[in-house]
Order: sequence, then C-alpha cells, then structure tokens
Amino acid sequence: MSDFYQSGSITTLHQLGKSSLERLEAELLGFSKVSPIALALPALYSEFEGPAMPGIVQELAKVKYLNEIVLVLDKGTEKDFQRVREFMSPISAEVKIIHNDGKRILEIYETFARNGFNVGERGKGRSAWLAYGYVLARGKSDVIALHDCDIVTYSRELLARLCYPVAHPNLDYVFCKGYYSRVSNKLNGRVTRLLVTPLVRALQQIIGQNGFLTFLDSFRYALSGEFCMITDLARVNRIPWDWGLEVGSLAEVYRNYSPRRICQVDIAANYDHKHQILSADNAAKGLMKMTVDICKSIFRTLASEGVVFSDGLFKSLLVTYLRQAEDTIIKYEADAAINGLKFDRHEEAMAVEAFTRAIGMASQTFMENPMTTPLIPNWNRVISAIPDIFEMLRMAVDEDNCTTHHLGSVNVK
Amino acid sequence: MSDFLDLILEPLQEVFLKFKVFLPNLLAMLVIMVAGILLAKVIRLMLVKSLNAINFDNWSDRVGMTTLMRKGDLWSKPTAALGAVIFWLLIIVTLMIGLSALRMHAIDNLVEQFFAYLPRAFSAAVILIVGSLLAGFISRAILIAAVNSGYHYSKLLAEAVRTLLTVLILAMAMEQLQIAPGIVLAAFSIIFGGIVTALAIAFGVGGIDAAKRMIERENGAEKKDEIEHL
Repeated sequence: MSDFYQSGSITTLHQLGKSSLERLEAELLGFSKVSPIALALPALYSEFEGPAMPGIVQELAKVKYLNEIVLVLDKGTEKDFQRVREFMSPISAEVKIIHNDGKRILEIYETFARNGFNVGERGKGRSAWLAYGYVLARGKSDVIALHDCDIVTYSRELLARLCYPVAHPNLDYVFCKGYYSRVSNKLNGRVTRLLVTPLVRALQQIIGQNGFLTFLDSFRYALSGEFCMITDLARVNRIPWDWGLEVGSLAEVYRNYSPRRICQVDIAANYDHKHQILSADNAAKGLMKMTVDICKSIFRTLASEGVVFSDGLFKSLLVTYLRQAEDTIIKYEADAAINGLKFDRHEEAMAVEAFTRAIGMASQTFMENPMTTPLIPNWNRVISAIPDIFEMLRMAVDEDNCTTHHLGSVNVK
Repeated sequence: MSDFLDLILEPLQEVFLKFKVFLPNLLAMLVIMVAGILLAKVIRLMLVKSLNAINFDNWSDRVGMTTLMRKGDLWSKPTAALGAVIFWLLIIVTLMIGLSALRMHAIDNLVEQFFAYLPRAFSAAVILIVGSLLAGFISRAILIAAVNSGYHYSKLLAEAVRTLLTVLILAMAMEQLQIAPGIVLAAFSIIFGGIVTALAIAFGVGGIDAAKRMIERENGAEKKDEIEHL
C-alpha cells in the first residue's frame, strides 16, 4: 500500500486499502455507456510468441466495459496476421487489427509520405498514432487507453484503474498516466530512476523554476507506457516516433491542457516487462539510444518554452546531473537494503556514467540541429491535407479484417 | 491408287495454299501486337512519369479520387492505376488492330463494333469521373453548410445527397454504355423515385410538428401585427 501524499502540479491517485476490481469494473460499465472506451495495443508479432500476450488476452477476455480494441500488429506476415486474429478471438469486445505490413496499410503510409507527412520509422510511436487515427476515424469511442503488450504481470485491474479517472464523468480528467514500482529481486527501471529524475532535477537546479520541469517531475513514472486519454487529445497531440515517445507525449499534454486535468494513477503493485540491454558502447541501440532520444526530447521541449541552451549550460548540466545521479544511487541503495533487495552499486554507477555520455551526445546533436526530434503531425493537420484519410484508413483496416482464411491449427503459443 | 492419293493430298494442298495466303496476315498481326505492346509500355512509362511530375497522386488524394479507388478495393497508387488502365486499353486497341490485319470477315465486324463503341466507353468514363468528383464536392459543401447552420444530422444529409447523386451518375454511365437501357431506365426510376418518395414521407411525417409550429408562429405574428395597429 502506498502513502496518500500529493506531489507536484498534477493529481496522484493512490492505491489505498484493499482493491475492489468488481466495483471498478461495474462502475466502468456504467461510465462506458456515456463515454465508450477504446483500447489501443501496439504489438509486435514476436510478443504473441512470448509469455506476455497469452496472459493479456486471457485477462482482456473477461473485460466487459471496452467498446473496441485496436491492435496494431508490427513485423508480422499475412499468415501471422491471420494467426493473431484467431488468437484474439476469445475477446468479446470488437477487435480490429491494423496490419502494419499489409498492402493496404503500406499504401496508407505511402499516402502520408507523398503528401509530405513524415510519420517516422516503425515502432510504438507510429503504431500508437495510427491506432488513435483509426479510433477517431470510427468515431465510436470517447476515451482511449493504451498499454504495452509485453507486460508479464498483467491483470485487468491495471486497465480498470487506468481508464477510471478519464472515463468517470464527474472527475474531469483528460489524461491519466499509470505508475507502478519495477521491482523483482532488485530495483529495475534504471532510465527513470537514474536518468529522467536526476536530469530533470539538475535542469531545475540550473534553469530555475520551470513549468514543464515541475510537470515532468510530478510524474512518479514518466516513462511508463500505460496511459488513458480523451479522444480529443488524440486528435491534437503530436507524437514522437522515437524513444522520446513518453516524454514527448507528456510535453504535448502539458502544452494543450492544464495540469489540473492531468492525473497519474497507481495501476499495479508490481510490473515487469521486456528489459532493454544497456549497450553502453553503442549509442544507436538499447538503453543508450533510448537515453539520447529522451534527452533530445526534453531539450527541445524546454527550448520551445523559451529556455536558451548554450555550451556552458550543457557543461554545467553534465556535472550537475552526475551529482544528482550519484546522490540518487545512495538513496536507492538504502531503499534496496531496507527491502532486502539486491543492489549492485557498481552496475548502477556504470549506468550513470553511460547516461552522462548519452546526455553529452544528445546535447551535441541538439546544438548542431535543435529541430532533430521527430514528431508525427497531429491528426487535425493530416485531415486538412488529406480530407478523406479517415475514410481510407477505415476501409483499409475493415477490408483487412473482413478477409477470412482457414489456417487450421493456431501455432501461436 | 493415284486417285486415292489425290483425294488426300488435294485438301492438304488447299489448306497449305490458304495458309500461304494467310501467313503474311498472321505475321502482320504478330508484328502489330509486338509493336503495340512495346508502344503501350513506353506510353505507360511516359504517362506515369508525367503524372508523377505534376503530383497527380497528391492531387488525387485531395480531391477524393484515391478514396474512390479504395472503395473499389484498389490499393495501388492512382498514377500506377491510371497507367495500367491506359496500358490495357492500348493493348485491347492493339489486339483489335492486329485482328483486323487477319482480314477475316467475322473479325472485321467485331473490330468495327469495338471502335464504334469506344466513344461511348470514353463518355461513360468521363461521366463517372466528373460525376464522382462533383458528388464529392456537393456532398462536402452540404456537410459544411449544414454543420455551420447547426443542423443535427449534417453527415446523414450529406451522405444521402451523395448516394442520390451516385445512383444518378451510375444510371447515366450505364445508359451511355447502352447496357440494357430499358432496364436501367426502369431501375433508375424505381430506385431514385423510391428514395425521393421515402425521403419525402420521412420528412413529411417527421416534420409535422415543425410545420405546425411554423404555421402557428406565422398566424401569431399576423395577429400581433393587427393588435399593434389598433
């Protein structure tokens, strides 16, 4: 059980006392009559072969309040697509699968490209954006929830708690982010613990009071991939297609809505998913790539707020960050000790060193070209350029989902 | 024995002589076909390049031509689709010219009919393209006007107008193609008349209260006017 302390500029909804999934789901069923809820799932085909997706589907099959589920399947062949359709069949809500590698969706991407829209490379950002587009195109839902498909500790309480604040008609929240602890026999979530929080605090120390930094620091798990929002937000928000997705999305939420209408909710006592390798020597992959993208996204957002970056500021930032991160390691060492968790201080220090190098790389890239952070345009702009794009997207997905193939036995584990 | 051999050889010689006369025609047809296919390929290539140069795909996306293609489950680029249509049209024309080189009476008639039908097919295609664009434009204009006037069922109204216009355009195109004109005319009259009657009944029945209010308001205004004069 967590405390009930409210920190920062947004609302924090804690897990207090014994949870009651039945009550939450019953209320959500009522709310969904007024504000239908869609669930967007960006997934790789490989995730259907892993341990997470079977559990997620099993849980989703018991959910009654969802109006529709839009699964964006990436890196899957035509046969994989058909297998996934079979795999999702136990779910009672209407399930639509967007086949990212299908000829119709590829043509939709081609339409974006020839009209001057850079929707980025394949990945979670692009898939999430397309899922929002399809939900908007159908116009049947008022709320969109999104979570990853690699959560091995998934329970439907996570989804219920995520949707509740936005779906509740009297709470007036437009965006809700999930948070949780990432603990196994040790503390996980290195990028949040050792990069984002120390970096934000170091920037606050140098720049001083800044609305966006306060907003970002208010989130207990700024990099969590689980959130819920109203569909209007999906229409106006731009999304980064790289690893800066979570931070960039928060920046867009901050830009478009008052923090009073933003909340975070405790969605799980524990959470585990696919772990990324650090790859300290290679800035083009793993956590290093993620770190560079996140830093660039933060720098760009601050610059757009009017913060002036210089070589001197970045030099100070490196040192200030390092101090903040070292202090953080000490705090977490104590936290691990009292909870009987393993704590490799050397490994944590190595991660901080790698993150420091990544901040240096990000600042260098930013100084060379501050516009490098890629943002997928919002749907309002896309519609103004291609008025019929929603109709085309709807046709593409619906045609894909209409085709029936008999594949015999389903090979997905 | 010699007579018997003649009986066998004569038809063969006759066939051989006929084939000898026919062979140049066949060769001419093959040459026409090969040249036609090559020419069609070159024209397609040039057409696609020219269309790409003027951003035809982009224009097509904006005016709704691409959507029209997608509705027919055609998922290639508009330039590629147009290139393919022109290519196959040229192939058919080449085939017809090639067949006419065979100088066979039955085929000559067929070729003549084909070329006589071409202007009709062209007109029908123009009616379909211009009609679809016009239907899209009118439907969108109605949608915008209705939304701006605060009309609750704007989308339904716009879609209804688009459906009516599509029925009208299809009937016009089929009439142009002379495909069972009697049936098309009857079917069009029934469908179009049915839709209009259904709308009239729906509006009439649904609008009784609104019409009553309007008439009452009008009467009320007249009475008010009389009182003011007094």
